Amino acid sequence: MIEVRELTKRYGATTAVDRLSFAVRPGTVTGFLGPNGAGKSTTMRVLLGLDAATSGEALVNGGRYAALRRPMREVGALLDAGAVHGGRRAFDHLGWLARGNGIPARRVTEVLEQVGLAGVARKRVAGFSLGMRQRLGIAAALLGDPGVLMFDEPVNGLDPDGVRWIRELMRALAAEGRTVLISSHLMSEMELTADRLIVIGRGRLIADTSVRELAQRFGRGVLVRTPRPAELTEVLEAAGGSVEPAPGGPATDGRLADGRLAVGGLDVEAIGDMAAAKGIPLHEVTPHSASLEEAYMALTSGNAEFTADAKTQPTTEATARRTS
Amino acid sequence: MNGRGAADAVAAEWWKLRSVRSTYWVLTATALTLGLVLLLGVQVARAWDGLSAADRTKFELRPLQEIGGWAAGLCVGVLGVLAITPEYRTGMIRTTFTAVPRRGVLLAAKAAVVGTVALVAGEAVTVGSLVGTRLVVGDRRFADQGASLAHELPGFAVAGATPAVYALIGLALGALLRSTAGSIVSLVFAWHVLPLLVYHLPGPWNERVGSVMIGGLPAQIAGRDAENSIYGDLLPPGAAAALLAAYAIVPLGFAAAVLRRRDA
Repeated sequence: MIEVRELTKRYGATTAVDRLSFAVRPGTVTGFLGPNGAGKSTTMRVLLGLDAATSGEALVNGGRYAALRRPMREVGALLDAGAVHGGRRAFDHLGWLARGNGIPARRVTEVLEQVGLAGVARKRVAGFSLGMRQRLGIAAALLGDPGVLMFDEPVNGLDPDGVRWIRELMRALAAEGRTVLISSHLMSEMELTADRLIVIGRGRLIADTSVRELAQRFGRGVLVRTPRPAELTEVLEAAGGSVEPAPGGPATDGRLADGRLAVGGLDVEAIGDMAAAKGIPLHEVTPHSASLEEAYMALTSGNAEFTADAKTQPTTEATARRTS
Repeated sequence: MNGRGAADAVAAEWWKLRSVRSTYWVLTATALTLGLVLLLGVQVARAWDGLSAADRTKFELRPLQEIGGWAAGLCVGVLGVLAITPEYRTGMIRTTFTAVPRRGVLLAAKAAVVGTVALVAGEAVTVGSLVGTRLVVGDRRFADQGASLAHELPGFAVAGATPAVYALIGLALGALLRSTAGSIVSLVFAWHVLPLLVYHLPGPWNERVGSVMIGGLPAQIAGRDAENSIYGDLLPPGAAAALLAAYAIVPLGFAAAVLRRRDA
């Protein structure tokens, strides 16, 4: 069980996490999603007692991580797979970790076998590929057989086999009743791995939902492309439709003037008729079944706090141009 | 629980220290200083043989005997630095902090491990320099070697503890600065540059400040004067011993306070 309550973390003038609250329950894989810089890693660092919260609480199993007696037996974490001393052998890296938490030495051998590194246990980590380091980091997280697991971007640098291995491992760990939190900036990966999703942007909670709910929420709609998006939005909203700028960038033929709108609550016929009545040209009207990826893009780029001062981000800049 | 947690942390740090090559390089360098002292002892013995009886009375072996422990101080000081800065460079310090969240306990565990290794290495080199050079020169009667080995040993044993003080200062510097280069430069400054600068202060300040330099403390603890040394000898033995302990403990305490407060 992981609970974050009204968590705020500031670094100087920068607010990395802003009054964030969510809970992660046992028995599910929870995806922790957000663009780069959204505050995922910061939240995990505060959860692990590495950084001190400015205000609010971040609890594991009902208490602060720093107060745990033998933390690795309750919480396993992989933050940065590259953060290993290259001169140390894999066996030794896990060995000191186990020794520091009163974990029997045979667990070292067990987890090395579990992650497929038994053959290189006596090799120095400097010679490991990124994928092997990820496996070593996961082995370290599993060492204490903990009930709570946190992984920060665990599929980075893995080949397709490795990605599938992680996916199956995460699902198996959750099926054993563990609490599993995986951060990622890739919805396509979480779509296949996670049951629940916590989406954050600019340090704030955007969505706390299940994968199915999110798909349904964004799943049935109509994608409309028009050169006069502002007018059409007004018309459709007056008719009771929900209208949001749609992701996907400018029209494929390069006409930047066109705006793409994701319309909910109205069908293709109603939209076409209303646009015709007002004389608004439509360049595309497509009944749309959004992928989670698109739902995620809509969530994060449509977030006002996120777009407001994200001038350096090309995608949000494009959004701003389209909608202005 | 505290005791077991601390014992686990010490065991983990001991494993860490044993499992990187830099530890063995540094300890090899430390052992080499002793080897060098013994080789120089052979050279000194030969030189002694060629001297006239009058010159022999002015020829001293002690400076050579003391140089081993002095050099060992820098070697194990680097060992202290390397007990923590590579963890900051690689980012492994976060893994360490998640394994042992109580940072004061963690630093104490590192200090216990590094301090013990440095104490053994420092004593081996310092006492080894005394005993070894005596064996090398054999029955040549150096003017400053009249005292029995048993009489000289306590003084050298005290001096043999100073490398451990440098190791703990190195550890504290590493924890505070988080950079290997910065920490080693600071260590060399405290070990060698600062005493030389102090020596060149106008009197009586060179003697006053020179009395509180680490290198001058063992002689003061043993109650010897500072003749032929760049240090002062104004402190009584008890005060000198307390100051030597403070050099080991105060920087570590400061580092522990900073570690507890700082985001990792």
